[in-house]
Amino acid sequence: MSLAMFSRSVSELDGIVSFTAQAFTAQHIDSSLRHVIDLVIEELFVNMVKYNVAATSSISIEINGVADGVEVCMIDSDVERFDPTAAATVDIDAPLAERTAGGLGVYLVMKMVDSISYEYKNRSSKITFSKFLESQAGSKT
Amino acid sequence: MIEIALQENGNVSLIGRLDAAQAAVAQDYLDQAGVEFSLDLSGLEYISSAGLGVLLKTHKRLVGAGQGLKLVNVSHHIKDVFKYSGFDKLFTIV
Repeated sequence: MSLAMFSRSVSELDGIVSFTAQAFTAQHIDSSLRHVIDLVIEELFVNMVKYNVAATSSISIEINGVADGVEVCMIDSDVERFDPTAAATVDIDAPLAERTAGGLGVYLVMKMVDSISYEYKNRSSKITFSKFLESQAGSKT
Repeated sequence: MIEIALQENGNVSLIGRLDAAQAAVAQDYLDQAGVEFSLDLSGLEYISSAGLGVLLKTHKRLVGAGQGLKLVNVSHHIKDVFKYSGFDKLFTIV
């Protein structure tokens, strides 16, 4: 298990990438999963920062290697409820004039993970997601 | 970190990671890059939705000028993100 805390700033992203790299190495997690895990952690972290601007608590990230995959748990304490798994979907077939970047991050998260859950309890948001090697080559459409 | 360089052939290369921390830097550069260039992504290791937003805004600007964003040397990982987001249908990918 690898656990680290990060302050609420996008400037922490470089540190998060370093932490994820160390966790993969230490737990011998297949490196082919790194790209997806980096992207999902960034999107969720940025959402936590963006949608709870009044919060001051650090955000915890826990990475666990599991059989043929990886599970990640992110906890944001003393915040308002924000459930990314309930966010509106994005029309990726919309014409260019109607396309925006809004909502795209969460959309990518939902498409790229194999499972994801959200829990809100005692003013803490907890998001747990997993990604497995067997789904890495396929696309969820 | 992201490194942005103008190549001798007039193309612009993005090298490194285009994430939420680097998107503003890349956007500032591309906003001033004229309208006739291709983006060389051979050195781009990673892109998130913030980076996609940079490419989308740039593409819209270039389309408005009668052009469009052309992407060259796109890696497998980056193509996957384009595919998931539907951006593979927006850009010309060479």
